Amino acid sequence: MPGRHTGLLFALPALFVLALLVAYPIVYTVILSVTDLGGSFNGTENFRNVLAARATPRAFQNTLWWVGGSIVFQVVLGTATAILLNRDFFGRSTVRAIAVIPWVVPGIVAATTWAWMFHTEFGIINYMLTGPGIIDEPVGWLTGRHTVMPAMIAINVWKLFPFVAIMVLAGLQSIPKDLYEAARMDGATFWDEVRYITLPQVRPVIVAVTLLLVIWALNHITTIYAITRGGPANLTLITPIQIFRLGFESFQFNEAAALSVMFFMVAMVIVALYIRFLASEGEIGR
Amino acid sequence: MTARGRIATYGAAGLVVVVCLFPFLWMIISSIKVLTELYTIPPTWIPEAPTLGNYATVLFDSNIPRYFLNSVVISVGSTGLALILAIFASYGFARFQFRGKTYYQSFILVGQLLPTAAIIVPLFITLRYLDLVNTYLGLILVYMIVTLPLSVWMLTSYFKAIPRELEEAAIIDGASRLGVLFRITLPLSLPGLVAVMVYAFVTTWNEFIFALCFATDSSVKTLPIGLAEFTTEFNTDWGAVMAASVIMTVPIAILFLSMQKYFVGGMMAGATKG
Repeated sequence: MPGRHTGLLFALPALFVLALLVAYPIVYTVILSVTDLGGSFNGTENFRNVLAARATPRAFQNTLWWVGGSIVFQVVLGTATAILLNRDFFGRSTVRAIAVIPWVVPGIVAATTWAWMFHTEFGIINYMLTGPGIIDEPVGWLTGRHTVMPAMIAINVWKLFPFVAIMVLAGLQSIPKDLYEAARMDGATFWDEVRYITLPQVRPVIVAVTLLLVIWALNHITTIYAITRGGPANLTLITPIQIFRLGFESFQFNEAAALSVMFFMVAMVIVALYIRFLASEGEIGR
Repeated sequence: MTARGRIATYGAAGLVVVVCLFPFLWMIISSIKVLTELYTIPPTWIPEAPTLGNYATVLFDSNIPRYFLNSVVISVGSTGLALILAIFASYGFARFQFRGKTYYQSFILVGQLLPTAAIIVPLFITLRYLDLVNTYLGLILVYMIVTLPLSVWMLTSYFKAIPRELEEAAIIDGASRLGVLFRITLPLSLPGLVAVMVYAFVTTWNEFIFALCFATDSSVKTLPIGLAEFTTEFNTDWGAVMAASVIMTVPIAILFLSMQKYFVGGMMAGATKG
């Protein structure tokens, strides 16, 4: 029998590195958030300053839009793609391989390529839409009030629906075939099967993936920062970008820390839900 | 499948292929167009005068080659470090029972899910204190946050899938714990190790925000930052940007296409245990 601590010894180096890089900074953020530049305690002043800034509620609202819009389309399109890729057709494995590509490609490459495609004057998207007369004149996708956030969400959906598709596909493949056969005997159509067998069976996967996507969307900076920096007029400013700008553009480390603490609390509620869900599915601690 | 069902299936499959591939196609087409052709209305589908000029600009008149080298060093370094740490940690989690194991596993998972933006400021101050801002080592260490948790998670499930009896037999024959790990468990979990390596390499190669914060000097800047710099200049040279995008995507494409089986399998093992 191995000693009682052998397992822990194996895990210790990784735990130490993560503690240094994760636990310590979290504690340090809290300290920064309640001190001033000179390091003396100033209570809730940083928090009040941050909350008073006009950008903060704006960013919060944008973050909700960003997360909500991304998740809905990612999950729906991803699940639909998974159902498609689970059907039997010629060339399926090739389509499966291709469908993963947007997810693997560097986020910054996706951002720049889409920025070029969304270009108002020379972008291919405006050309394809004006050509057949779907729209009358070129749209300023990345500068317009009503189009810039949807454009960002579209890029994020394109980038991550493949991830949902792979995960759900894995779930679909574990559904026993005889369930479908039984349903077909009873005269079920394709849509009946989707509704009464497929979706209920992959529900746990979809829930887990959705929570993961929420967390990723909350953490996401690359796409928006690379294309708009949060502009125009803060229309695409989401909280993570606001933190970055406060800290690394205005060098207001203490206010950035205060905002981080608030952001962190919200994110941790979702993470806690995710971990509880995984635990209830028996993924942890076996 | 009915005829109508079949048409719908192929139609949908075609749509997925177009949606996924079109941006890359357009990226490649744009990268071999001359400047005047990039800025013509309507855009041309096939370049009239294909050129490698944009690639020449990127390779000889920009910092991109240097950033490419930085990216390679940092990605290889952090992949190696993550792999070593993850092998030991995963083995500990997969094969032993110890007090607080669930707690430690959750802690590792939290690392993966942590809002990156919330810790960039204190991480920056920590790195500055350790004199690691603008160093390879600094970025390699910081990338443990993004690679280590999922690596541990994936490898743990791989190790669990290997029959315990194999190891027990070796221990009866007098092998040590480490001997068992290196001579039996690791060779058997090669697909898992490959998956972890590909995952860690791809993630660090693509990482943007940490590099943006902690690598501000061109001696350590990585490719994603270089690409972002290209687009921020007042007059964006879209031909060069697209060429740089192609250059940045190629290593990932090669790695991914050759290792795809492992990568997707490993991701599924890590995230859903499918």
